[in-house]
Amino acid sequence: MGHSLLTAVLAAAVFFLAVPAGAGTPGVGECMECHGDKTIEKALPNGKVLSLYVDPQAYRSSVHGGGSCTSCHVDAKAPHEKLKKVSCGKCHGDAEKSYAGSSHGKLRAKGGTDVPGCDGCHGRHDIRKAQDPSARTFRLNIVAICLGCHKDRVIEQKYNLPDQKVMAAYEKSVHGMASKKSGLLGSAVCVDCHGNHEILPGDQPRSATHRQNIPTLCGKCHPGILEQYEHSVHGKGMRAGIAESPVCTDCHGEHTIAKIHDASSSVNSRNLPKTCSGCHEKEGISTRYALPKKRFSSYMDSFHGIAVEYGMTKAANCSSCHGVHDILPSSDPASMVNKANLPKTCGKCHPNAGPNFAKGDVHVEISPKKAMGVFAVRVFYTIFIAALVILFALHVGLELYGRWNRRKEKDSAGKEGRS
Amino acid sequence: MSSTVGTSSRKVIRLSLLFRMQHLALTLLLTVLAITGFALMYHENSLSQWIIRFEGGIVGRGIVHRIAAVLLMANVIYHAFYMLFSREGKPELRQFFIGRQDIDDFFQSLRYNLGTTKEYPRFGKYGYKEKFQYWGAAVGILLVSLTGIMLWGEEYSMIFFPKVVLDLAVIIHGYQGLLAFAILFLWHLYNVHLHPSVFPMDPSWITGKVSAEWMRAEHPLEYEKLKEEGLL
Repeated sequence: MGHSLLTAVLAAAVFFLAVPAGAGTPGVGECMECHGDKTIEKALPNGKVLSLYVDPQAYRSSVHGGGSCTSCHVDAKAPHEKLKKVSCGKCHGDAEKSYAGSSHGKLRAKGGTDVPGCDGCHGRHDIRKAQDPSARTFRLNIVAICLGCHKDRVIEQKYNLPDQKVMAAYEKSVHGMASKKSGLLGSAVCVDCHGNHEILPGDQPRSATHRQNIPTLCGKCHPGILEQYEHSVHGKGMRAGIAESPVCTDCHGEHTIAKIHDASSSVNSRNLPKTCSGCHEKEGISTRYALPKKRFSSYMDSFHGIAVEYGMTKAANCSSCHGVHDILPSSDPASMVNKANLPKTCGKCHPNAGPNFAKGDVHVEISPKKAMGVFAVRVFYTIFIAALVILFALHVGLELYGRWNRRKEKDSAGKEGRS
Repeated sequence: MSSTVGTSSRKVIRLSLLFRMQHLALTLLLTVLAITGFALMYHENSLSQWIIRFEGGIVGRGIVHRIAAVLLMANVIYHAFYMLFSREGKPELRQFFIGRQDIDDFFQSLRYNLGTTKEYPRFGKYGYKEKFQYWGAAVGILLVSLTGIMLWGEEYSMIFFPKVVLDLAVIIHGYQGLLAFAILFLWHLYNVHLHPSVFPMDPSWITGKVSAEWMRAEHPLEYEKLKEEGLL
């Protein structure tokens, strides 16, 4: 009797424990009975095999590890057929809303299954907080996640994405190297510029990387430089809505940003003249904003320009005289190239520079209007040398003509004499 | 004709050893200066770029150019002193003075070649061609040296001159060099190599000597003077 009673009590205990799980929501332990088996899998119609294994260890240590499977898999029973799609938005409403407005979200809504959803970046059962160094979305890990797709040529062509080489260039950029090689947490990774859930192409005004947002964006990490820029002619122009006024990326590049001493940097002393001339040698821009013309050619013909061209890095480039982020028009009394400040500016390299440095143009544009003296001397020499060469030729020609004439006369005289 | 045969093998001195050495130094240094200078003046040209790299870049080429310039100026100063004060130089300099006769000679030479006169001008040791060459080079080297020194010590120059003067100096330095080059390359090299009376080369810059017959034909006054002095 005693034995049967024990059995009944145990059975009741099992019944009471099992029933709520079996009839309502199964606990993690129950799910793991099947999903904790590494061999559990399902054959898909396309012939592939999908593993249904969930690493219990990874799940427990994930950010959701304290909850239950059914928080996400709301329709899960034990056993069950194919479950409904998990909706992260149930809890993460804001993120879902932002995501839905992003390029990724829109494409996915149209049925692009290879476009990342939440799990594409965050993972599934092993999601960790972004601050956790082992999280997929941790600062130092996120680049690999983004490049996983954006370095893929097939995906690039399918969605008409920017060139995968441009994407991959980030890894060699100053930001990429700082995070990858030095593990520097302060270095910019993809999401710092592009945002996370609401990524949009840069040509859309709402995009974090739209031109008008760039200075503020870079200023998040480079606030001192942003302040200088805001006071500069370029910054003021940009804030006034002048689309041609350069923002950070126009000079520094985007994914290719390199250290200033790196030969590949667009602001390297050797490349800088070309970078600045991208705008300042354009007729349209010079005319529209009443800027002086021929700044590049006049510089490249000066000793400074030639020296920089041949790799003499200590020779003055554009920024040596005009400044960098704090460039002001020469009419501004605070400008480095204001006539009153020129001796001081030149004095950075020429210690004996005095007021004579400001008497005359620095960019010598050889034209009657800009530099009459130089122009006149050049014209004089050109005419003089050309005239001299012509006179030489005439003199030589005349000498040969005379010689030829005299020989002819002599020959005919000789013949007559003989006959 | 028999007299020509008799004198054709005879040689007369035209350039002493010291003058030949000055000339040789001038030739070599001007060549170095022209190569280093024009490569910089026409720095966009691909050949220039190759030359500048060959010379050790923008710094190296400057050093080469300035060493040659200092040597050239030393050579020219030595020459000036030699011409002004030495026993050999003083009469030589006098023969380089330009006078009324040179202008007459020039026009007579034109008439002679046009066939309106049968008389070839009777040149002294140096005719208008040589005098033009000599003074042209002298003025050229003086201008190029002055502007070159100004540009070399640009910071010190600008204690005295405004920047615009240095802009002029750059232009004068380059174009005066080009002018000198045109005179030397076209005028001088024609006269001493390609001219029918000397082709393929007037040997006097190496041997110092020319044939007495050439002297009689081209510089009759000098020929007669030498004959009077019994040097022939």
